[in-house]
Amino acid sequence: MLHAAPMAKENVWGGGRSPYNVSYGKMMIWFFLLSDALTFGALLISYGTKRFFSAVWPDANQVFKSFPFLEGNDLPLLFVSLMTFILIMSSVTMVLAVHAGHYGDKKNVAVWLLWTIIGGICFLGCQAWEWTHLYGECNGLWGAFTTENMPFDSFQGFFNMHSPAVADIVVHHSKVAQEASHQFFNYFFTITGFHGAHVTSGVIFNMVILINVVNNTYQKRGHYEMVEKVGLYWHFVDLVWVFVFTCFYLL
Amino acid sequence: MSAHNQNESVQALYEGDQSKLYSGIMAHHTNVNSPESKAQVKKIWKIFWILLLITLIEVTIGMFFSKAMPIGIRNFGFLALTVVKAGYIVAVFMHLGDELKNFMITVLVPLVLFVWFIIAFLADGNYWLWINKDSPVHAKYEQVIKK
Repeated sequence: MLHAAPMAKENVWGGGRSPYNVSYGKMMIWFFLLSDALTFGALLISYGTKRFFSAVWPDANQVFKSFPFLEGNDLPLLFVSLMTFILIMSSVTMVLAVHAGHYGDKKNVAVWLLWTIIGGICFLGCQAWEWTHLYGECNGLWGAFTTENMPFDSFQGFFNMHSPAVADIVVHHSKVAQEASHQFFNYFFTITGFHGAHVTSGVIFNMVILINVVNNTYQKRGHYEMVEKVGLYWHFVDLVWVFVFTCFYLL
Repeated sequence: MSAHNQNESVQALYEGDQSKLYSGIMAHHTNVNSPESKAQVKKIWKIFWILLLITLIEVTIGMFFSKAMPIGIRNFGFLALTVVKAGYIVAVFMHLGDELKNFMITVLVPLVLFVWFIIAFLADGNYWLWINKDSPVHAKYEQVIKK
């Protein structure tokens, strides 16, 4: 009895079992997500650096204040709150699909996966609307503020002109404000675009595994671990959005 | 149909022997209506409400109070709430909280690099501000920060 505990400890690394209690595939998706987190982190940190260097910066409450069919009203952050809600909701439906997978419950895996796909498509639709709207506001996507000495009224709407100090810089040092607009939108389209590409591939992965679920692939295999792996990717996409939301819309 | 589903040895090579893996809520269960299953579903929805509540708090602050708050406190608050949300997603939705401690550490330790990244960019930014402290825009920048 005395040596029972050390024996158990040795066995963890003694071969014949996974020391981490995870399969190869699941461990690799975790490490992939780790590297992806570093990529998104690099993008967000360089955005933060540029912002820190700049005397003025576009104000989220001014840039993001429109809502579909209610254009022209001042509704700051309302639309992005809806997008955030959709993505959190789709994360919940995904974790419910994973949960059903632990119980080999094919029907519920399929139903929750379908809801997740619908949520992902809704989110992408919202993003398409937001990009189209901002395309109209900026007269372009990347590099819309690269013409030399643009008049300040082509970007003053993005700044908090109620603050006298900000308004002073935008009007009298418009180059600084133009540069800030340029950087803000370049980073915005790059980072939300990269995130949107992840959502798109996540929706495609979800569709593939939904087809497999319906075709009994995982029933035959004896487990639904594939749902769990794709679920990890999907939650990661939600996780990145949490940080994108903070960096672009709140701070 | 697809041959690889029938080939147990190849499957085992890629997926491992699942019977030796996973315990607790991540093990393979049979009864989806069991109390454990229902408790887990209840937990998932509880986390959903927490995430929604935090988001609503953030948006409310962002919409109505962010102009009136000291910028340092506001930013610290937003970042703290973000980290709390991220923690719930990773621990519960991604089930990292249900993995072995060894594995949790293996995944989380490399993220410590971010601490260095953030310190490095703040230091760089401070230096930039310092070398530009005599420019006319910089004096106004101080006003923007301090209001």
